[in-house]
Amino acid sequence: MIKVEGLYYSYSNDDNFAVKDVSFEVAEGEIFGFLGPSGAGKSTTQGILTGLLQLQKGNASVAGYDIKNISRKMFNKIGMSFEQSNVYSKMTAKENLSFYSKLFDVETRDPIELINLVGLGGKENIKTGEFSKGMKHRLTFARSMINNPSMWFLDEPTTGLDPAIAADIKDIIKEHNNKGVTVFLTTHNMFIADELCDRVAFIVDGVIKLIDSPKILKLQYGKKLVEVEYVQDGNVKKETFSTIMQKDKDLLNQIIADKEILTMHTKEATLEEIFIKVTGRGLV
Amino acid sequence: MLKRIWTIFIRDLTVNMREFMTLYMIIIPLVLAVGINFLSPSINDTSVNLALIENENPEQAAYFDDFANVELFSDEQKVEDRVMSRDSVAGILPKDNGYYIMTQGNEPESVLEYAKLLNVLYEADVQLEDARSEIIEFGRTVPPLKKMLVNMLLLLISMLAGMLIAMNILEEKVDQTVSAINVTPTSRSAFILGKSLTGMAVALFSSIACLLITGFYNVNLGQAALVVFSSTILSLLIGFIQGLNSDDVMEAAGSVKLMFLPMAGSIAGYEFVTGNWQIFFYWSPFYWAYKANDMILSKSGTWPQLILFIGIILAICGAVYALLAPRIARKLQ
Ligand SMILES: Nc1ncnc2c1ncn2[C@@H]1O[C@H](COP(=O)(O)OP(=O)(O)OP(=O)(O)O)[C@@H](O)[C@H]1O
Ligand SMILES: [Mg+2]
Repeated sequence: MIKVEGLYYSYSNDDNFAVKDVSFEVAEGEIFGFLGPSGAGKSTTQGILTGLLQLQKGNASVAGYDIKNISRKMFNKIGMSFEQSNVYSKMTAKENLSFYSKLFDVETRDPIELINLVGLGGKENIKTGEFSKGMKHRLTFARSMINNPSMWFLDEPTTGLDPAIAADIKDIIKEHNNKGVTVFLTTHNMFIADELCDRVAFIVDGVIKLIDSPKILKLQYGKKLVEVEYVQDGNVKKETFSTIMQKDKDLLNQIIADKEILTMHTKEATLEEIFIKVTGRGLV
Repeated sequence: MLKRIWTIFIRDLTVNMREFMTLYMIIIPLVLAVGINFLSPSINDTSVNLALIENENPEQAAYFDDFANVELFSDEQKVEDRVMSRDSVAGILPKDNGYYIMTQGNEPESVLEYAKLLNVLYEADVQLEDARSEIIEFGRTVPPLKKMLVNMLLLLISMLAGMLIAMNILEEKVDQTVSAINVTPTSRSAFILGKSLTGMAVALFSSIACLLITGFYNVNLGQAALVVFSSTILSLLIGFIQGLNSDDVMEAAGSVKLMFLPMAGSIAGYEFVTGNWQIFFYWSPFYWAYKANDMILSKSGTWPQLILFIGIILAICGAVYALLAPRIARKLQ
């Protein structure tokens, strides 16, 4: 459904790349997670794939369309939920969706149905200028489904939402995926990524560090993490070490030899911890 | 394509009719048109009135009646009373072997000229068949002030249309909705045409409405619409670029207002600068629009002339477009 090869992008049109040599494929029906810290190049990649940013270098195709010269028809098949909500503040929720639906050539969904689906039922006739940030974000998300897309781009669909609503959004994504929709999901939320994604890519500083399924990653790292509490200079420190990475094993040996150990136990790695271990970077 | 242009147009119009500022821009020309009617008598009241002595020269009275409103009075004193009344009436009275024209002194010059002309024509025995076109030409049944005000109003309308576009572009910019439209099958040209249609439709509607309100329903409305159309193109271009460059409503409205200067300059140039110096205003599309409107409002224009003027306006707009289009396209990314 998506095929990307050697993608580069620079906002300043020089060697200062926001995205460097990015390559990956997303199969039809898959949920593909794009994970990385802020500024890693996630939205940039998504921008190129949706034609919002001009393809500068590399090859990309989406839903069978070449991104080098995009046919406007491609957008009948694509849905895009923006990181920053962007709806007309002078129009009501319902007007926003009705207007948008008329821009497509394909059958579109009922605005009210979508508004109810994202928990905005009863608010359809309020101007979105009066909406809270989270409400606007949900409307932006709802709008991305209006043309029944088979390829669905979601840029941080759950950011800024309370956990209950975020869980609802997660369920909606899952449901659509069950019906065959391919999803490209950018998120900071590792729990959602873990639960939803068939495969994830870790991206840092514009470079993909790893692509694999959360399941395999966990098998690999499995219970191979050791959490150690020890005393250093009179303070209690807590650290997690991998038992398969040589660097961690050496460090662990040193600590056991030199420090006073308080507690020590193995634990299941979370996706976030795996990310940190693999990229050496936090997710924030 | 057409469906999407229409969708964008209807959305803009709906939002514009709802917001005070944009609604004001749509309504204000109509209010001004009503104002012009108060300021300046309506066209139909201004056909020239002549006061004559009854039975003094019935043949002359009948001749004048073909070209003016003739009122007959029993004697010279009655004619004088009539001439002294508030509205513009010229008396034509016998003296020696000819006639003289009696006025109050505050009649528009055109009334006086017209009365003189008619008198001369009568004496020269010019018949209606021989002279129709000239008489209408000199007739200037429209007060010049009114024609000028309506003409200015027409230019103002095209400027307001540009402002409206600037507002609508700014709305998309502030709400960041262009990127949402960019991920639909809507092409950039459909978007731009949809937006332009809003300004164009409002300009055409307001112009025709203003012409009707001010009593110019006898002019060639098709010609008037053509001039409005071509002069509005420039305003729309400027509206687009200013909308894209501005960050808030006041800034956008303010920058479009800058057009006011060349516009006022062109009008002043046309009205007050003598023939040879008019060449200094040839660069201004407003000059040509004003000139074309003037022709249409005085019903003196021919199609070839009009097409020439419109051609010049469009050529200037084309040059401006060539200059601005790349910037507009870039900003819409
Ligand atoms: N419009 C822009 N102009 C210039 N540089 C930009 C622009 N947008 C992003 N960048 C730069 O490109 C890099 C990648 O940004 P991008 O928005 O793709 O990150 P991201 O992974 O989506 O981050 P986040 O998680 O914060 O959304 C960053 O270094 C950022 O500063
Ligand atoms: Mg982002």
